[in-house]
Amino acid sequence: MTVDVSKIYLLDVASGGSVEAELRDAIEQAQLNDWQTKWRPALLSILQELARKGVPMDQWPQSWHWDWNKKTARVQGLLAFRGFSVVALGETQGLAQIDLTKMGREANQRGKPLVYLDYLEVAPWNRPDLGNAPRLRGVGTALITAAVALSEDEGFKGRLGLHSLPQADNFYRKIGMTDLGQDAAYQNLRYFEMTSEQARAFFEKEENDET
Amino acid sequence: MTAKRTMTLNLTDAEMRVLDELSARKDITKTAVLRQALRLYQTIDARVEKGEKLLFENDATKEKAELMLL
Repeated sequence: MTVDVSKIYLLDVASGGSVEAELRDAIEQAQLNDWQTKWRPALLSILQELARKGVPMDQWPQSWHWDWNKKTARVQGLLAFRGFSVVALGETQGLAQIDLTKMGREANQRGKPLVYLDYLEVAPWNRPDLGNAPRLRGVGTALITAAVALSEDEGFKGRLGLHSLPQADNFYRKIGMTDLGQDAAYQNLRYFEMTSEQARAFFEKEENDET
Repeated sequence: MTAKRTMTLNLTDAEMRVLDELSARKDITKTAVLRQALRLYQTIDARVEKGEKLLFENDATKEKAELMLL
């Protein structure tokens, strides 16, 4: 399989400068190795610190149990599932897995195919919600941008759907997605959708932010 | 963007009508309908090959019907 690689830029929080990164349209073994040997130990030490401080489990990072080896193995070779990864400074900074079999629920796009963002996770050291200042910013947005671009490329006109972990609800509202409320059929997580119009506005904002 | 290849497709009038209708109703191109059909077929086939069944459930009555794939 040929992996498409695009050059993107992330913000180095400490220096305020930009860092060149690769957006790759696949999750390869190198990314899984990074998850296993770098993300997991980093997350484990954060969880131990949270436990030591007595932080209740419902305030822990809600993706702490995600296993990217299993997630990617389950969809290996299936056309309906796609992966994206962001690589910078020699290591994986973010991962996303996409499902292309889902349909829209929002009134204006009900029943129309969309890109469903099944999982999105950034490296523990880039997460502002885990107590420390993130190293790099823009990883999550880069992955969302890739998902919306894929929706355009597939002819889905930017339509995007996802179930959000509660800690990420505000992020998805901030980027202009419609909150369709809690989904009783999916662990009561809130379901968000981006319409074609919202996708256009999202791209315009991204372009304006870059210039 | 992943490189794509072009192929000629021979369809009957009835098949073409269904393709046109799906393309309009789903708000995607005819190519996108066929690519979507291929993805769904492969996904279903892979799960059936693993011994799973494809069931449809009526949301109101909760009645289930199995789609037989041969």
